[in-house]
Amino acid sequence: MADAQTAMIQLKEAYGASIAEMTPINGTPRLRVKKDDVPQVAHFLHTHPSLRGALSLLWAVDHRPRESRYELCYLFTLAERKDWLLLCTDQPTDDRLFPSITPHIHAAKWYEREIRDMFGLIPKGHPDLRRLVRHEHWPKGTHPLKKDFPWNRVMGRQQGEHHFRQIEGEGVFEVPVGPIHAGIIEPGHFRFSVAGEPIMQLELHHFWTHRGVEKLFEQQELTAAVPLAERVSGDTTVGHGLAYCQAVESLLHLQVPRRGRYLRSLFLELERLHNHLGDVGAICNDTAYALPHAHCGRMKEQLMQLNDRLSGSRFLRGVNRVGGVAVDLTAVQLAEIVAELDRIEKDFSELESIIASNASLTDRLETTGILTERTAWDHAVVGVVGRASGLDQDLRRDRPFAAYDELQVKVVTYRYGDVRARMRVRMDEIHESMRLVREVRAKIPQGPVAVEPSSRPQAGEWALSAVEGWRGEILYLVMAGENGNIHRCKVRDPSFVNWPAIQWAVLGNIIPDFPLINKSFNLSYAGNDL
Amino acid sequence: MFRILKKSLKTGVVTGRHPAAAPTVEAPTSEAQDKAKPFRSSLAFRAVDTGSCNACEMEMNALANPVYDIERFGIHIAASPRHADALVVTGPVTVNMERALKDVYKQTPDPKIVIALGDCAINCGMFKGSYAVTGPVDRHVPVDVRIPGCPPRPAEILKALSELRERKP
Repeated sequence: MADAQTAMIQLKEAYGASIAEMTPINGTPRLRVKKDDVPQVAHFLHTHPSLRGALSLLWAVDHRPRESRYELCYLFTLAERKDWLLLCTDQPTDDRLFPSITPHIHAAKWYEREIRDMFGLIPKGHPDLRRLVRHEHWPKGTHPLKKDFPWNRVMGRQQGEHHFRQIEGEGVFEVPVGPIHAGIIEPGHFRFSVAGEPIMQLELHHFWTHRGVEKLFEQQELTAAVPLAERVSGDTTVGHGLAYCQAVESLLHLQVPRRGRYLRSLFLELERLHNHLGDVGAICNDTAYALPHAHCGRMKEQLMQLNDRLSGSRFLRGVNRVGGVAVDLTAVQLAEIVAELDRIEKDFSELESIIASNASLTDRLETTGILTERTAWDHAVVGVVGRASGLDQDLRRDRPFAAYDELQVKVVTYRYGDVRARMRVRMDEIHESMRLVREVRAKIPQGPVAVEPSSRPQAGEWALSAVEGWRGEILYLVMAGENGNIHRCKVRDPSFVNWPAIQWAVLGNIIPDFPLINKSFNLSYAGNDL
Repeated sequence: MFRILKKSLKTGVVTGRHPAAAPTVEAPTSEAQDKAKPFRSSLAFRAVDTGSCNACEMEMNALANPVYDIERFGIHIAASPRHADALVVTGPVTVNMERALKDVYKQTPDPKIVIALGDCAINCGMFKGSYAVTGPVDRHVPVDVRIPGCPPRPAEILKALSELRERKP
């Protein structure tokens, strides 16, 4: 089946005239396409039966002041071997319009709206041109990622109101929820249209916690921005920190020592474990089944305390650094981790059988919030949610990073796409993570854990990196600027692609099941809003 | 049934099994203690996230787990600001959340206290100066208690709350 090379040949045959240039960048084939031909080429990549490329990332770069142009890049992941293929196109600074690919590719919908908000470039033909990141009270013409927009500008305020899609008819009413919710969670607004109990439509209105992360990255030095990456989404501290470090390391051509890579895998699995344990408990709690919640909360706490003992941070903050890891573990500590995990695994297995034998819980979870494989694929859904809907994808296996090229990861997939499938993916992944940690301990080599960065990249060089965090794929694009600073850093948390999918998963379900469905997705607002 | 019973008996009581908190950096002011007087035996708080990275939320959620079990100190998490005695605000106040924070503050009945939890809420932390951040919490609503940390550990939050509600000799 198609790898990136055959895909290039096929594209050349079909669209030879519109492809200006084909060059690989860090091993990823890159096609430079004429602006107006992007939708056709993207459509071909997305729908051709032997390619079936899913849109993984879409970003824009403002090349000023070095060059007077914008650049739009579309990253596709091909279905079979998960190869990457990149389409790039130039956008002159005096032209604000670019052709939208959303009519062909659903997954581009939020990306293009984001580009419109952040760069002021307008996707022509986009079905929904409402604001996304900038709420309606932001003044006109504020496009923060343009290079002439000061990072510390004090924002004014204008009148404006967000218009939700409306369904009208007898007995149809709207239920607004948020931005401040009843539980201790982050802010987000949900607008339900219901007739009786079943949900006819859900619309999200997010980006309340938009802190300007991508612009803040541009004020930092390449080697100094790890703490910021760790605070993109607090629960994914290691995932984001690691993804950022990897991008910078490939810019600086650093080879992380093997021991460092093993420790990175170890920390990533520890993060996956405490989050998955918390989620299993929280899903049960949302069906008012408090017992597993209490037990899972206790086990999660044990892991957080373990993290604290290992690294001095309950969230493993500061373990990653550019060039390796900042925390080395002794053999005693590794033994302590494995012993703790053995205890927790035994504990959790007992709890699992209690959960599995509860018929009323199963009744609540089964067939609730179904995300079909087709919808999941259309929206290029990633991570736990994708795997629960039958999408067999896991970057630890497909695009090995850290030490995963030497560790065998068994990817857990379920086909049903309901809440129960998402919970079972998590439960199985808990066991798999524990096994991986044991494997790390058995295989970890001796040696240094980090190397010092020495060189400086050329301005304009960039690198992509991908990490399978506990929620799903985290993508980072880092472009170097002058004097070792960052010119552009595009952060993509898995939440950004999975949020739109939740709008489909809730259809036909009753509102009281929404918290449960939402919990089974458990997406980050901070990572989405940036 | 017996499985559940066995599990519970085997697990035993885990409450309080956590490392002790480091000494609080910032002791509560006597004004704050006076303000907290009505809430000494019962305090219902509402968490408001105005742009945090969700680590502070996770630690607040941890307060409700069996290890910290915050309810044993008479502290409850209210579902609505209208039922709350205290607002716990996390994160730098973003441009988008500014109005929501002010609304929540107005909706919380008096007397009330406002607790800024985490470095971001106190001084915007890493997000200081950004175009999307309007400033720390005390720029918008009066703050009575500050609990620093990125994020503060649950034990530290517990300690700060108990010092706040301590009976003076």
